[in-house]
Amino acid sequence: MERKQSPLKKLFAIRGMGQVVTVTVGLVILCIVFGILNPMFFSGKNVGNLLRQIAPILMIGIGQSYVLITGNIDLSIGSVVGMSCMISATLMTKGVNPWAAVVITFVCCIAVGILNGQLVANCKLPPFIATLGTMTIARGIAQIVNNNYNTDSIGEGAQGFRDFFYYGKLAGVYNTIWIAIVLWLVFNFVLSKTRTGRHIYAVGSNIEAARLSGVNVITSTTKAYVVSSICACVVGLVTCATSGMGTMDAGNMYEMYAVAASVIGGVSTLGGQGILLGTVIGASIWGVLQNGLQFAGAPVAIRNIVIGIIVVVSVLLDVVVRSGRKPRRKKEPAAAKAA
Amino acid sequence: MQDYIVEMEHINKTFPGVKALDDVSFNLRAGEVMALLGENGAGKSTLMKVLSGVYTRDSGTMKLFGQEITTDLTPKKAQEMGVAIIHQELNMCQHLTVAENIFLGRERTKSGVLSEREMKREAGAILGRLNIDIDPDMVVGDLAVSKQQMVEIAKALSTNARVLIMDEPTSALTSKEIDDLFVIIHKLRDEGCGIVYISHRLEELQHIVDRVTIMRDGKFITSVNFADTNMEEIIANMVGREIKEKFPKVRCERGKKIFEVRNLNAGRMVRDVSFDIYEGEIVGIAGLMGAGRTETTRAIFGVDPKEGGEVLLDGKPLDIKCPMDAIRAGIVLAPEDRKKDGLCTKLSIRENIALPNLDILCNGAGVVNAKKEREMVDRTVRNLTIKLPNAEVNAASLSGGNQQKVVVGKWLARNSRVVMFDEPTRGIDVAAKVEIYNLMNELKQNGIGVFFVSSEMPEIMGFADRIIVMCDGRVTGELMVGEATQEKVLEYATRFENKLQKDRAATA
Repeated sequence: MERKQSPLKKLFAIRGMGQVVTVTVGLVILCIVFGILNPMFFSGKNVGNLLRQIAPILMIGIGQSYVLITGNIDLSIGSVVGMSCMISATLMTKGVNPWAAVVITFVCCIAVGILNGQLVANCKLPPFIATLGTMTIARGIAQIVNNNYNTDSIGEGAQGFRDFFYYGKLAGVYNTIWIAIVLWLVFNFVLSKTRTGRHIYAVGSNIEAARLSGVNVITSTTKAYVVSSICACVVGLVTCATSGMGTMDAGNMYEMYAVAASVIGGVSTLGGQGILLGTVIGASIWGVLQNGLQFAGAPVAIRNIVIGIIVVVSVLLDVVVRSGRKPRRKKEPAAAKAA
Repeated sequence: MQDYIVEMEHINKTFPGVKALDDVSFNLRAGEVMALLGENGAGKSTLMKVLSGVYTRDSGTMKLFGQEITTDLTPKKAQEMGVAIIHQELNMCQHLTVAENIFLGRERTKSGVLSEREMKREAGAILGRLNIDIDPDMVVGDLAVSKQQMVEIAKALSTNARVLIMDEPTSALTSKEIDDLFVIIHKLRDEGCGIVYISHRLEELQHIVDRVTIMRDGKFITSVNFADTNMEEIIANMVGREIKEKFPKVRCERGKKIFEVRNLNAGRMVRDVSFDIYEGEIVGIAGLMGAGRTETTRAIFGVDPKEGGEVLLDGKPLDIKCPMDAIRAGIVLAPEDRKKDGLCTKLSIRENIALPNLDILCNGAGVVNAKKEREMVDRTVRNLTIKLPNAEVNAASLSGGNQQKVVVGKWLARNSRVVMFDEPTRGIDVAAKVEIYNLMNELKQNGIGVFFVSSEMPEIMGFADRIIVMCDGRVTGELMVGEATQEKVLEYATRFENKLQKDRAATA
């Protein structure tokens, strides 16, 4: 039964690698095209900027990927980003120690994640509805913490905070990028190498099979939502550090950017499929398009249209490739359930 | 005489509106195969779900390996105590690999990190012990249904189960695979496992069963040694009355040719298929799993694209590009997988019956005529004696037999010329089977062309007037029922092309 496999075959044997390879090729082509359109695209300064643009999309993409793999969706991500930004900024303007503020912000955001998980897995609400509700609530909280105003500057005392999350550099690379890398390494490890990760895949693939195998479906789903809220929280803190103040509509639409980054990278919205490496590529394509089109002088409207098309085409491509490769008659109970 | 390893006494379980288990007692010894029999809805699966911790009992006592179970059992706890269950519906995570599925819920870890290699090795060892040739690295969704079933068995055994419950394990298997399964069951029994075997295929029992327990309407009826009873007695106990004939056949004059398929080609599984159907006969299509029978019905019905060939109705060629074309022409298909292809399980019975007939039920503006719809539904329910509380309940809430009647009934509500059945009696009980046969007889008497695909040899032999055998996408033989024997059918069913045989062996 043991057969020798070539390294290339082995690479493709990794779950979800097919789509990742396809989109990586797409990413490379995009970079080349933008490089030709404007050679400054590859300048050190722009690459630094580009990576800083990609980092937040990657982070929320990680969170959304976790939730999508369980077969659910998290619409509250953008609002949690806003909430995190406003809570931390408000606390700091009120003179709270920045690091204490960070801890408090984390607690609040994780609470939203737990609430999401419980509503979806325990109360069996449709994830779209449940997180639509928490999305609105979290945005409301973002607005109410400073009486419906954006905050003032978080002040000199928070310089350490701002450097840590945005302005500082380590080994010549901006801290935001390091944070995204660390987040990715940790959560990729959890998803691919630990029991928790395996259970998250199982729940998304066939919830009934998972339950009957003794997997705690409620806990696994909740964990995914908590990861999502942690990621959103970090992005909120980065946003706060970037502008040095709290803005109520920070993270607006981020939940959708996160879905886009995930699905471009091959994460299935029906659950059970996808890897975080794909999310990296998905987020990169997103960032490269934004940055490259901007560099090429395209107006915002054009950028939106192009990005929308890319999202649809990349998923369409995956559907076409899959339907061509797999046997036609196949049971898809997971898909039926999610629909 | 060994001790009982499972003792369940006076078990009660009520679901909203239904008493699923009513004072049921059940026991099992080590090293025996116990058949648990009863019609659909008799409570077999419920009882076994109580035993395996999926459901909690309302009252009653339970002992496992002599140890009284006082607290509520969970699937995990039951598994740890050595009770494993293979559920009727396949319960595999399609996206995960064989090894990952086998160890799902009890992954091996080393300081928090999954020990992939160890699990893969052990999975391979378990599969090897059962003589199952499946690579543990394969993604389960890519395996054939029968192989998935084998994985499910391997998964159950990997827990070192001493009580193994199999709920309809053979419904998706071919006869060869069933033989393999029986070898495994014998092996486990000899190792001292207690096995509970639930099946509607009574003819299988003689090969493996030591004792039978029969249930009816949620009640325990009897428990006897298999050697001390016979089929008639078992069936009578199951249905509560005697069934005169398992395959009620009516004789009809064979009339004119209604339906003809000429050199049909559709992909690898349908190659040069030709056959015809006459008035007043029922044609059975036999073959092994993967012989292309289902694919043929799908191609005729226009679900899958045709690559060549002709379909003729009453001598006139039809151009069927999609199911709607087929339905308009009067050709309908009752598909194999009720839950997946046959019913919208979340819609009501009324909506299900009306669905393919909306063209008749709607007025010009596309508004459904509620009165006509109700009449059609009432007529169908009455004619087919579908047992239901009312037509507004979800299709999923009916028993398998009644679901199947809805699938058939929605097609009979319109005047069809040819009705194709794909595995019409899979997973339904003896009494419901007879009702389905009677329905098919009625169609035959009304001059409608009927043919059915079946994997159950006795059904093909007992009920069809003519048998068409397929193998590997081709029609390999045709037999009148008088001249057919099981051996002949099997011989045709295994007539692979030489070349294919070789490359099958290479890929297997």
